[in-house]
Amino acid sequence: MSDLKYILKRSALTVLLIFFAITVLFFIFRLLPGDYVSVLAMDGADPETIESLRAKWGLDEPLYIQYITYIENVLQGDLGMSHRYRQPVLQVTGRAIVNSFILVAPAITTAFILGSGFGTLLGTNRSEKGELWGIVPLTFIGTFPIFFMGILLIIVFSFWLNLFPTGGMAAVTQQGLPYSELLTSAGFWIHYFLPFLTIVVNMLYLPALTMRTSIVEVLGQDFIDYHRAKGLKRRAQMRHVMKHASLPVITQYPVSLSRAIGGMVVVEMVFNWPGIGYLLLQSVYQRDFPVVQFVFLLIAVWVILGNFVVDILYSSVDPRVTVEGQESN
Amino acid sequence: MSNLLEVEDLTIQYKTRDASVQAVTDATFSVEENQFVGLIGESGSGKTTIGEAILGLMDDNGEIASGKVRYKGEEIQDYSEEEFQSKLRWSEISLIPQASMNSLDPIDPLDQQAIELAKTHTDWSKQKILTRLQELFEIVGLPADRITDYPFQFSGGMQQRAVIAFSLLLDPEIIIADEPTTALDVIMQDQIFKYINQIKDENDTSMILITHDISVVFENCDTMVLLHSGHIAERGNIKEIYRDPRHPYSILLEESFPDIRSPDKSLAIIDGKPPVIQEGVDMCTFAERCPWANDDCFDELPNLEPVAGDENHYTSCIRAEELDALVEGSDVAGDD
Amino acid sequence: MIEMTAEPVLRLEGVDKDFSQANSILGSIKNRVLGRDVEQLHAVDDVSLTLRRGEVQGIIGESGCGKTTLLKTIAGLHEPSKGDIIYRGENITEYTTKEWKEYRKNVQIIFQDPFNSLDPKYPVKEALAEPLKIHDVDDIEDRVVNVLKDVKLDPPERYLDRYPDELSGGEKQRVAIARALVLDPDLILADEPVSMLDVSTQAAILEDLNDITTQQDVSMLYISHDLSTVSYICDRVNVMYLGRIVESSETRDLLDEPLHPYTQELMAAIPVPDPFAERERTQIQGNPANPIGLPGGCRFKDRCVERMDICDTTPNDIETNDQTEHQVACHLHYDHTATDDVAVSANGGDGHE
Repeated sequence: MSDLKYILKRSALTVLLIFFAITVLFFIFRLLPGDYVSVLAMDGADPETIESLRAKWGLDEPLYIQYITYIENVLQGDLGMSHRYRQPVLQVTGRAIVNSFILVAPAITTAFILGSGFGTLLGTNRSEKGELWGIVPLTFIGTFPIFFMGILLIIVFSFWLNLFPTGGMAAVTQQGLPYSELLTSAGFWIHYFLPFLTIVVNMLYLPALTMRTSIVEVLGQDFIDYHRAKGLKRRAQMRHVMKHASLPVITQYPVSLSRAIGGMVVVEMVFNWPGIGYLLLQSVYQRDFPVVQFVFLLIAVWVILGNFVVDILYSSVDPRVTVEGQESN
Repeated sequence: MSNLLEVEDLTIQYKTRDASVQAVTDATFSVEENQFVGLIGESGSGKTTIGEAILGLMDDNGEIASGKVRYKGEEIQDYSEEEFQSKLRWSEISLIPQASMNSLDPIDPLDQQAIELAKTHTDWSKQKILTRLQELFEIVGLPADRITDYPFQFSGGMQQRAVIAFSLLLDPEIIIADEPTTALDVIMQDQIFKYINQIKDENDTSMILITHDISVVFENCDTMVLLHSGHIAERGNIKEIYRDPRHPYSILLEESFPDIRSPDKSLAIIDGKPPVIQEGVDMCTFAERCPWANDDCFDELPNLEPVAGDENHYTSCIRAEELDALVEGSDVAGDD
Repeated sequence: MIEMTAEPVLRLEGVDKDFSQANSILGSIKNRVLGRDVEQLHAVDDVSLTLRRGEVQGIIGESGCGKTTLLKTIAGLHEPSKGDIIYRGENITEYTTKEWKEYRKNVQIIFQDPFNSLDPKYPVKEALAEPLKIHDVDDIEDRVVNVLKDVKLDPPERYLDRYPDELSGGEKQRVAIARALVLDPDLILADEPVSMLDVSTQAAILEDLNDITTQQDVSMLYISHDLSTVSYICDRVNVMYLGRIVESSETRDLLDEPLHPYTQELMAAIPVPDPFAERERTQIQGNPANPIGLPGGCRFKDRCVERMDICDTTPNDIETNDQTEHQVACHLHYDHTATDDVAVSANGGDGHE
C-alpha cells in the first residue's frame, strides 16, 4: 500500500477515534449530578427562571437528544455558548488555550532537551559513581507528584527567598493586556518562572532515562564497532550513535506534549495559572457543559493527533519502518 | 620482501571483574607485501583478539601487556585512539569483521556510508568515490545500481559482500578478514575468494585471514599461523607445514577435517578443550590434550623454534623432531 | 544397517509447501475473496524421497533452498500445500491429535544453534526429563543417565545438574542430541547440528552421531549446506535447489559421479585442505533466482553452463539413471538414457524397483 493510501486510512481512523472519545466523554461527564442551572439554583434563583433557562439551553431534553444536537452543532462548527460566561465557547477558552500553551510547550521542550542531554552524558560516560549520582536523584525528583514539586518550589522561592510571586500569570494590573505587551513585561516572566521550572524538573527524568538506556543499547551494537574500525572521527561516530539512540526519545516528545496540554491542570491549579486546565476544572465545578465538552474535544484531538504524528515521524526517521510495517527483502 | 606488519612477542590480557584472562601469549609473526597470512585456531584461540589489537579496536578491558606491533617500521601498539584513527585505520589496514552482516549501520544508505568513509581519509570527490564503489560492487557480485540502497534491503549474504567491497574501498595495504565467509554457502565462498585473489594479484594487497577453516587457508594463503589458547603452535609457509607438520595440534587438526575426496576416512578427535589462560602460563598450552606429551611438556611454555633450521617454518613443540616416529607408533589420526 | 525390505520409516510423495505473499491476515483474506492470483513462494516443490530404517539421508543445498522448510514440514510445523508425508505407512496429514502426539514422540528434531535450543533455566537433567514426562514414560532417571552415556557425556553425574551456560558449545549440542534420543525415536530430523561448532568438536559429534545411528537403529534426515560433513555421515544424499530435489544418490556414488550441473558446481566449489591441489574455481555466476514467481522449467537454467532450449519448456522429471538408484532431474541425462529401466512420471515417483 502506498504511503498516501496509508495516511488517508490512518486519518479516517483518527477521525473515528476522536468521535469515539468525545462521545464517551460526553456521557461520562453527565454522570455527575446537576448542571449549571442547579449551580445557579444554589444561589437562590427562582424556579421559573430555572425552568426557562433549562429549556433555553436544551437541558430538559432527553440525554440522547442532547447528544445528537451536540454532534450536529459541532459538525457545523458551532461549539456552543458557555453557560457561565454567556459568551461563545471559543471566546471563553481562546485565551486560556494560549496561556496554557505558552507555559507548557516551552517547558516540556526544555525538559526534553535538557533531559536528553543529561541522558546522553550518562549513557556515554558510564561509571558506578556517575550512575549513582546521575540516575538516583533524577528518578527521585521525577517521582515527586507535580503538585508537590510546585508547592515545594513556592515555599522555597516565594516564601523563604521572596524571589518570585506565589501564583497567577501576571500582576493584577496586567490582566487582559494583549500578549505583545504581556510577553515583554518583566512582571509576566517573574510569574512564569516557577511554574515553568516545576514542569521542567518534573518531566526531566523521562527523556533522560530513555536516552541513557537507548545509548547504552546502541553502543553495544556491532555496527558501532564497525564505524570505529573504519577510522571515523569521534564526532562522526557519535553522530551515528545519536541517530539511532534518539529515536525512542523523538517518539516520546509529541506524546508527552500532547498529553501535557490537557494534563497540566494540577500545575495550573497550584500556581493559579489561567490556562485551559484551570478553566476546565472551574467549568467542571460549575457544570458548564459547553465549555467542558469543548475542552474534552480539544484534548482528544490533541492527544490522538499527537500519536498520529509520532507514527508518521517515526517512519520518516527510521527507514526500516515502512509505513505499513512491512519488512523489505 | 619487506615486512609490512610485524607482531613481536605480543601478549594481550583481558580484565574481567573476577579475574584476568591472557588471550594471547608471546605471539610473533609478520605480514609481507602481497602476502596472505592465515591465522587459524579454534574459538578462544586469540585469533580475533590479535586482529583487534592491530587496529586498536579491543574493548576497554583489554590491554597489550607486552610486546610490539610494527607497521612499516613504526611501532603502533601504543598509538592513541586518535593516531589509530588518522594514521592506520582503513586507509592502511581495513577490516572485514566477524559476522559482518551485522556490521553495516542499517539506517544509512550504502553510498552515503562509502562517501563518509572515503572523505574521512582522503580528498576524493564524491564522483570518484561512487564510481569506485560501483566497481567494487561488481567485483563482489552485487548489482552496481543498488549502491543507494539501505543495508537492511540486502540479504545477509549480500551484506557480507558489501562489507568486503567496503574493505577494498581505499585500496589498503592489508585487509584483516575475520571469518569473512562463515555464514556463506560454499559456492558464494568460492566466488568471494576468487575475487579476493584477483584483487591480490591486481593491487598487491596483503591479507590476514582469520578463520577456523583450514581448507580455506590452504587454498588461499601463503603462510599460516596456528594458534592454540593464544599461543602460536606452528607457523610458516603453507606448503612446508602441509608437507611436514611439526606440531601435534597441526597434525590432529588436519585430520579432524572431513575431506570429500575421502569421505570414509575416520576423523581425528582431539581430547578436551583449549585451556583458558589466566595469569601467565607455565606449560605447553596443548599438553593436556596432546597424545604425545611427556613430562617436559608440562614444565614450561615452549618458545617458537625454527624447524630444522628452516627460516620459513617454526614450531613450539619441544618434541618436534621425534614427531614422525611418535605419530606412526600411535593409533590416533585416521587409522580406525 | 539399512533394512531394505521393511516398510520405510518415511516416504515423501510430491510434497509442496507454498507461502503466499500477503502481509497480513486481512491481506490474505482479501486475496482469496477477490480471487487474486498472488505470487506464491514455492519453498518446497514436488519433493519425493524414501527413508528406510536405520538409514541416514542428507539433504544439502544453499541457504534459502527450502531444506529447513522441508524439515519443518516433515516435523509437522508446517502443513504441506500438496502431496503426502507417509510415516510408517500412515499419512500424517490425516492425523488426529492423539496420533500427532505419538508422532512427536517418535520423530525428534535437533536444531542448528546449540546456544539457543536449550532453555537456560533448566539444568541438564530437567531438559532431558521433560520429554519423558510429556509422553508419560517411566524410569526417567535411568533413561536420562543412559542417554547421557550414549552421547559421550560421561560420567553422567557430572552433567546432570549443570545449566546450559556452564557447558561448552559441543557439550550443549550433545545435550540437544541426548534430548532427541531420550524418547527412543524412530526418526531424527537434524538441521545443521554441527555448523556452529568448532571443527574439532564437529568431528567428535559427527563420529558419535554415526555410532548412534548405526547402533540404535535410528533413521536420520540430516540437512546442511556443507557437503563435506554430510558425506561423512550420510548413506544417501539429496541435493536441493530452489525447492526441488535435483539429484539423489548413494553418497559414494554422488561424490564419484555427480550428474547434475548444480551438484558438479557445488562440489567444484568445496575448498580442499591441500595447498598442492589445483582446484579450479567455480564458474557459476550470481545467485539463485528469486523464489517468488519462478518461471516454469528447470530452476537452475539461468545459471547452468549446460543449458539447452528444452530446459525452458518442460519442468524436470526425476529419473533413474542406473542400478544404484542414482536419480537426477536434468534434461542432459533425460535425453541420453535409452534403456527400459527409465521410470518417468509427472510427479517424480521413486522410480526404483
